[in-house]
Amino acid sequence: MNRTLLAVILVAALIAGAWVALDSKPTAAPPPEPRVATVLPAPQALPEFTLVDQTGADRKRDYLEGQWDLLFFGFTHCPDICPTTLATLSSARQELSKSIAGAAPRIVLVSVDPERDTPEKLAEYIAYFGEDNLALTGPEAAIRELTEPLFVYFSKVPLENGDYTVDHSSVVLLVDPEGRFHALFSGPHKAADFVHDLPIIMGNS
Amino acid sequence: MKRLGAAAALLTLGACQPGGEVPLLISDLEVTPPRPGMQMSAGYFSLRNNTAKSIVVTRVDSPQFGAVEMHETTTVDGVSRMRPIESLRVEPGATVTLERGGKHLMLMRPADTLDTVVLNFYADETLLLSVAATTGPR
Repeated sequence: MNRTLLAVILVAALIAGAWVALDSKPTAAPPPEPRVATVLPAPQALPEFTLVDQTGADRKRDYLEGQWDLLFFGFTHCPDICPTTLATLSSARQELSKSIAGAAPRIVLVSVDPERDTPEKLAEYIAYFGEDNLALTGPEAAIRELTEPLFVYFSKVPLENGDYTVDHSSVVLLVDPEGRFHALFSGPHKAADFVHDLPIIMGNS
Repeated sequence: MKRLGAAAALLTLGACQPGGEVPLLISDLEVTPPRPGMQMSAGYFSLRNNTAKSIVVTRVDSPQFGAVEMHETTTVDGVSRMRPIESLRVEPGATVTLERGGKHLMLMRPADTLDTVVLNFYADETLLLSVAATTGPR
């Protein structure tokens, strides 16, 4: 074999080796994505509202600024889906507190039953699901100033026994530290989904 | 979260089938404690019909609660609705499960102490089953 042919073979081998090496180089893993949450393409400023919290203090939109919040719309006389959702959020929050650097989102119950959900009742109720949880209530019209622009539905429904229930959206909204509606979680809610999705969303914002 | 549950003990039962199998078997019983300030709890369980005939539970009561109703939560298009249901039908050999976000007992006006909760299940005025739940995890 002459020197020229040998050189050509060596160069070809080098090129082939380099090609294989490049081709087999591991590509960067795609960034993790939420598996349940819907993240808004552009976070939406919350509407202006004036409600009272569980201490009776007036609270406006800026109350939901400065930290991440999970808003759930329910009522204390709801024996099933509301305590189940709040327990789910509480469980997720406890888990997140161990695993994320910053504070886990607060849980904010917005009452859709202002007739029965006084600040005093809400204070007792919401504390059952964790020490830092919050609740908001107020006249129905004031609650609707918050819920309607967010397409959160609630409606009082009389029952045959003379009592009433409240139909309501089961969605959980994530509000970012700038007080913007950032993402939503549709039911059925599982703690593991919040534990998976929230750090991704909070880290990406 | 403290729950009343699982150590459910059968107190009374309808006549056993030949061979000793109970006609209506309850399992995974859980009664949530009333939330602070609230006058209600929820009950969850599974009922299995071991007979060859349908069993229809039309009423549940409890000495520890002022009223017990059977309810169902449904969530359609993102809206949760809770409504009373008239009865609970368990087909022969089938199991009906009452669980969170679905059918459940709504237990109202609890007694001051709830160490043990007794639930009585009826078909009209016939007592089908009495069960006691003691404090403890499911």
